[in-house]
Formats: sequence, C-alpha cells, structure tokens
Amino acid sequence: MPNIVTCFKWVIDEAYIRAGSSGELDFRSVNYKISDYDRNAIEEAVCLREEYGGSVTGVTVGTPQATKGLKDALSRGPDKAYFIKDGSFESLEPSQTAGILADVIGSKIEYDLIVCGEGSSDLYAQQVGPRLAERLRIPCISFVQKLTIEGNQITAERRLEHGIEVTAAPMPVLVTVLPDINTPRIPGVKDTLMASKKEIINITKDDLTQIYEEHLQTTSMLAASMERNCVKFGADPADITGFVEALLKEGVIR
Amino acid sequence: MAGVWILAENREQTLELLNIGRDLASKMGTKLAAFLWQGRELAEEYISHGADEVMLLPSLPEDQPLDAYIPVIAEEAQKEDPDIFLVSATMRGKEMAACIATRLNTGLCSDCIALNLNDESKTLEMERLAFGGAAVQKVTCSTRPVMATIPLRMFEPAEKQDGRKGEIKDLPAPPPSSVKVLERKPKEREAKDITEASVVVCVGRGIEKEEDMALARELADVLGGEIGCTRPISEEMHWLPEELCIGLSGVHVKPECYIGLGVSGQVQHVTGIRDAKVICAINKDENAPIFDAADYGVTGDLYDVVPKLIEEFKKATTS
Repeated sequence: MPNIVTCFKWVIDEAYIRAGSSGELDFRSVNYKISDYDRNAIEEAVCLREEYGGSVTGVTVGTPQATKGLKDALSRGPDKAYFIKDGSFESLEPSQTAGILADVIGSKIEYDLIVCGEGSSDLYAQQVGPRLAERLRIPCISFVQKLTIEGNQITAERRLEHGIEVTAAPMPVLVTVLPDINTPRIPGVKDTLMASKKEIINITKDDLTQIYEEHLQTTSMLAASMERNCVKFGADPADITGFVEALLKEGVIR
Repeated sequence: MAGVWILAENREQTLELLNIGRDLASKMGTKLAAFLWQGRELAEEYISHGADEVMLLPSLPEDQPLDAYIPVIAEEAQKEDPDIFLVSATMRGKEMAACIATRLNTGLCSDCIALNLNDESKTLEMERLAFGGAAVQKVTCSTRPVMATIPLRMFEPAEKQDGRKGEIKDLPAPPPSSVKVLERKPKEREAKDITEASVVVCVGRGIEKEEDMALARELADVLGGEIGCTRPISEEMHWLPEELCIGLSGVHVKPECYIGLGVSGQVQHVTGIRDAKVICAINKDENAPIFDAADYGVTGDLYDVVPKLIEEFKKATTS
C-alpha cells in the first residue's frame, strides 16, 4: 500500500489584488487560499488512497501565517501534515521551496509517491515538482491527467502539446498533475471538524540540514497593465451597429 | 568556454531561440550553441541560422522519454560553464529546464516574456507574469548559468545568413531513464488550431446550456473563426475539450479579434488572451472584470445580443 506525499502552498488569492495608482500591487484586502493546482494534487493523493489503501501526508513550507492552510488542507483528506515554517519563508523562489521540501521529505517521511500540482497559483513557475524530484533523485513525471498504480509501478498519462504520452516507472516517483485530473471535493463541516483532530508535525528552520540561498533577485513586482480602449456599448440596435462598425474599422473582421 | 546555449524540442522553436540567442551572444561577444537530437541533417541549418556550435545528442530508443537527456546536458553544462541557457517553454522543456537548473544549482525564470541585457552591468533582466497574470515580476539571476524558459512564438525565426561556419560536437548517449514510454498518442486534430485562428469566440459561464454552444459556433463561423472556452466550460461542464481552454494554464491565443461571450474575465483567463489585437466582450454584468480588459464591450444578455450580431456581421461581411 503506497505511502503518498502531497505538497501544497498557502497563497494570496490573486482575485483580491488591486493595482495602486502608480502600478504597485495593493495587498491590503487580500485573502489566502490553498493554491488551486495543489487542490487537485491533494484530491488525487486522497483518491489514490481510497482506491489502493496506504496513507496520505501533506507537506507545506511557509510562514506561521500559513497555519490556516494546514487545517484547510487536512479537511481535504490527508491523514497528517508536516508544516515547515519560519518567518523568513515569505517569498521563497522555487529552488528554495524545493530544497526545503526535499530536506524534510528525504529525511523524515517514508514515501512511494509524491503528488504535486503543475504549478502554484501565485508564481506559477512550475518548477517545484521537477526540482524536488531531482533533489530526491527520483524520476519526475509531469503534466499528468491520469494515474494508476499496479504493484510497485506507476502508470501515468501525460497530456503534452502534441498528444498524450503514456509512461510508467517503478516507485518512488514524483508526479505533477493537471487541473483536469479530478474535481477537488469541497470540505464539509464534518471534514473540518475531523481536520482539527489530525496530527500536524511542526518543523523549524533549525531542523533543516542547510540554508537554501536564493538564486533569483526580484527587482520589481508591479501590476500588469493592459492598455485597452474599454469602449462600452449597450444592447439596442444603434449600439450593436456601432460595435460592429468599430470592429470593421479596426480591420480585424473581414 | 562560456557562451549562450539554447534547447528546444523541434526545428521551429530552435530557430526562434537562435534569433534571440544570436542577439545576446553578439552583444556579449561570445558564441551561440544549440542542442540537437532530431538528426544531424539539421545541424548545418542551425549553423546557417546563427549557431556557432551544434551539440548533437544521439537519438533515444523508442521507449525513452526526452528527460533521459537531462544528465548528459547537465554534465556538459557543468564542464563548459555557459553564461546563459535558454529553453523553449513547452511542457517538456519546462520540466527539463527545472531539472537541469537544479543539477547546476542555479535559478530559472519560467515563462520569461521579455529579456534585456543591461549594457552597463551585463546582467540579463528578465520579466515574467505572476499572480495569475495580475503582476509582472522582474528578476535577475546571481548564479551561473542564467536560465529562462521562453514561450513559443515570442521571437521570429532566425534568418538564414550565407557563409556562416560552425562546429558540430557529438555528445555521449545518456544512461537509460527508469521512466519508460509505453505509448504515444498524437493529438487528433478536431478543429483548426485555435492558436492560429484570426478570430476566437470564447464561451464562458454565461452560456447556460450545452445546446447553446451552437450560438457561439454560428458567430465563429460567420467570422471565419474558431471557438474556445474558459476553464469551467471544459473542466466542469466538459462541453469542449481541454485543448480549447484559454488561459494561463491552458492555451494562449493571439487572434486579430477575440470575442468573449458570458466570460467574466478572471485574471488567469485574461492572461491567455493578452496578446489578442482586439478584445471584445459581451456580458450582462456591467461590472464584469472582462470589460476592463476589453477594447469593445457590449453590456447585454448574450442570448439577445449574439443573434443580432450574427445578422449584422453577415450583412457587413457579405456587402
């Protein structure tokens, strides 16, 4: 029965980010959430446990603020979670996140399969999965839309630009899953109550074997501007004609 | 030996990266090297289009994934110490780049949408989107090589130049990967490629029933376009295949004209259409965020507006 690890990230909900007057990002009214793609990863891990047995362990790296995220993640089905936290784990780059995850997963957790989302909904660099696999020296199969386990072997269907690639590898393996691999369950009241009884193992920076330095320096992070006309029409006949004429004038309709 | 290195899955992407690679290599006074595994015959073509060196990898057995090359590529990079390493941002390319960057203990700018070599500091300034496309993040990298994945069609293919000379270097075969490819199923082309369409009509949650998709299709047909959709339509409703889902994690489209029908305009979706020449939106909610991203918006019930538009467009395009 497979020991499954699933990694998740507690992120700013981008829908609440506003642009300030000089293009700076206004985070004043933001909410946080489990990264959308990671919900699929957690769901897939839990579905695999329902089918094949075994266990599901969630792992996250973040600031103490991510405590809420642990409960949220556990309400989605994992048996327990590791919370690697430090006040300095605020804007880690993918190489640091992967290094820290590998440090803890490699030394403290027994695993056969690691399930990650294809990217995070804040940075969407799509690096942590493959980087984590490299660090742990296990194969990575990315962009998976279907997963099955047979004995010690994982079979994974990758959906790539030009078609599907069906691959197989002996466990341990890391996979990154596509959003359409499943529909994440919405936790109910019972799930939330159960989650508060589950074990959370806290790991601090001092428990890590090394410091993971950054390679990238973010020199600016500003609101993306889209320069568009923003001309609005109503639905009456004169407006409809006006809209069609505007497109003809642009020369984009022939 | 240093230099600018490029890695892409096919000829077309390689030519695009040769264009930016040549530019950077010339500015830095260094050489440009390209990886190749699709056959030696392409090496001369890459050289004539700007490469100073082609690093030729032996072809893989049928059951081996492209990732099998990672150890050989990383070892070569450790030996040769390139300054810059650009990889085509295909799905395989992104995975390979992340693995190679880890082996080289360096940073990687994913989906880099702009890059500029600072004349004074000689650092490569890179831009990418963050927060679903709501923000632009500018990064530099302090370790070698500076790595980035470059989206498809960001650069024109490099032009052929007469009389160029270059070297071909044979690299060793990689050890077999423990991942085996059991089967490859090429995509069946159902519709025309949406990324090539000049008009894209996009279906959003405002479409109430599957049979109403006919309305969107009719509008697309009148305009000689294709239809696409937002994520809920493909992922939850399954009315269209995933390949037609437009957005950050779906396809990116660059049509002359995009028309969103009942599309609310979530930032992830808007990121997938940001390169459209003209963006139009039809939505009954006048506060829908799509209107901030649109050149022309119609506030109204799409079931009322679209049939009228079809009539108007028919008149306009046949006259």
